[in-house]
Amino acid sequence: MTVTFPQKGLPWLLLLPQLLVTAIFFLWPAEQALEQAFYQEDAFGLSREFIGLENFIDLFTDPLYYQSMLTTLVFSFSVAIVGMSLALFLAVMADRVIRGKLAYQTLLIWPYAVAPVLAGVLWWILFDPSMGPIALWLKSAGVDWNHYLDGNQAMILVVIASTWKQISYNFLFFLAGLQAVPRSLIEAAAIDGASPFKRFWTIVFPLLSPTTFFLLVVNLVYAFFETFGVIDATTKGGPGQSTTTLVYKVFDDGFVGLDLGGSAAQSVVLMAIVGLMTVIQFRFIERKVQYS
Amino acid sequence: MTDVILEKVGKTYPNGYHAIPSVDLTIEEGEFIVLVGPSGCGKSTLLRMVAGLESISTGELRIRGERMNEKEPAERDIAMVFQNYALYPHMSVYDNMAYGLKNRGMPKDQIAEKVSDVAQMLGLTELLQRKPRQLSGGQRQRVAMGRAMVRDPKVFLFDEPLSNLDAKLRVQMRVEIRQLQRKLGTTTLYVTHDQVEAMTLADRLVVLNKGKAEQIGTPMDLYNKPATPFVAAFIGSPSMNLINANLTEQGIKISDALTLPLSHQHRGSIVWGIRPEHLEVSDERNADFALRIQAVESLGAETLIHGKIETASGDGEPLVVRLSGPHLPDVNSLMWLMAPAQHWHLFDEKTQQRL
Repeated sequence: MTVTFPQKGLPWLLLLPQLLVTAIFFLWPAEQALEQAFYQEDAFGLSREFIGLENFIDLFTDPLYYQSMLTTLVFSFSVAIVGMSLALFLAVMADRVIRGKLAYQTLLIWPYAVAPVLAGVLWWILFDPSMGPIALWLKSAGVDWNHYLDGNQAMILVVIASTWKQISYNFLFFLAGLQAVPRSLIEAAAIDGASPFKRFWTIVFPLLSPTTFFLLVVNLVYAFFETFGVIDATTKGGPGQSTTTLVYKVFDDGFVGLDLGGSAAQSVVLMAIVGLMTVIQFRFIERKVQYS
Repeated sequence: MTDVILEKVGKTYPNGYHAIPSVDLTIEEGEFIVLVGPSGCGKSTLLRMVAGLESISTGELRIRGERMNEKEPAERDIAMVFQNYALYPHMSVYDNMAYGLKNRGMPKDQIAEKVSDVAQMLGLTELLQRKPRQLSGGQRQRVAMGRAMVRDPKVFLFDEPLSNLDAKLRVQMRVEIRQLQRKLGTTTLYVTHDQVEAMTLADRLVVLNKGKAEQIGTPMDLYNKPATPFVAAFIGSPSMNLINANLTEQGIKISDALTLPLSHQHRGSIVWGIRPEHLEVSDERNADFALRIQAVESLGAETLIHGKIETASGDGEPLVVRLSGPHLPDVNSLMWLMAPAQHWHLFDEKTQQRL
């Protein structure tokens, strides 16, 4: 359906608020970052000097940057895979529930409404080595939990905190995907002698593949770019560099290390990665699998 | 040899809804049984109970003498063709047909042989590598049948398999299904709401109404001797003229002015029926009654004439007459009709049973 407006001005007027938000909070900073990436600036922003590609050269010769890239990959894929597996499991279970279906579904969606920093703080308290219930329980079970000292444990903590929030989102999509699989296909497979387990892996899971791929991209984008709050509230990128993802590093180098030019160069690289991921995502959503 | 036995089979849903009170049916080996009835009569539910997709609340289902109530669908050795075909969209035609065999652990070379045999029989050989979405409706229908046939099951179950096809294809597939079933000799249970499909396919028909089998018999039995007004109206197209009347000493009193002479010991309210094709055009002297014509449907090979039995007050019963060949009587004119007594069907109005 196409809506036609009698005058040309009104559509633009209605679009204006969103366009303004985009311009002020996205386009302008992006342009600033792009410009800044080619300058070296003093810590107070009083003077700056054009240095060409120097910031980028520094960046790509810095072993810490590659270290952070690896950390980001480990972190992002862990969040995506753990989050999606758990969500798929929960969705399959919720799909089978007959009584109280709505209650389960609603409860499983709640965590999505929790702000990232709150989610981070929540898990940070639960896992605090001296008072967190989970940490104490782990200690009594023989695990020496201290994410302030152990980089791997810190990574596990940020993965758990980031995943927890994302499970709700994944759950919603998987549940919708499961409900779109025609019942008669499952019945046909049952008559064809496939066990429930086999039915899931040979019929349902392949039919969910568009949903799965969509979620994979969304989860990776989330883990890459939207977990700053969770990391800042739990580990602050430490211990050492063990949980410093690329996004956290932009903040750390720029606002803590005050290397504004280097930080801007990192932002530009991140922008390129977002662009790439968006292209992949849109190209895939264009061709949907038909159930027929 | 009896193949499938339904003994007092009933279905009650958890919410207390009594979908099927009790159905008894004995199916001989190789027989083609059609379950027919209006939508909501429980025919699909009954089929799904035989398939094992719905539980059986009461009674017993036996296939080749073995109780099936508690068996999983896969253990019943049945194959089902669904209304929407239920082809696996992500698998090729070959894989769709091979899926059931793979699950049963048949060796690969045997599967290939089986699938190619069936594909040949159904004319699917060229399409084996295609995906379901690349097929036409008729081809999908064939693949669904192929998937059922390839397993050589004891019983075929069809759930309205032709209702998604256009009229021409439906007739063609109907003939094909019948021929294939004859050739394979597999016992078949077929659900449809289309009485023409039911009549042409069935060895025996089960007419279901509100979960009850109104009548079980050959198509000709049901046509010639319908047990209830429901069956009478359901079988035959256009459906039988059914008129409420009174059976008196003089005969069948249809209205104050019209009584058809008949000597019968029954008295009271009855339903009098005669099929549109059994009414004959006559002249004023020999006719039983006159029809005031309201509409004429010319179909070339036959003509359907709709009208009302002419009475003084003009509120006579509606009636349909079916004449072979083209006729063009004027609307609003009178047509004199004879209703030969050997074609009458009488039902007790209270018990709804044939007299």
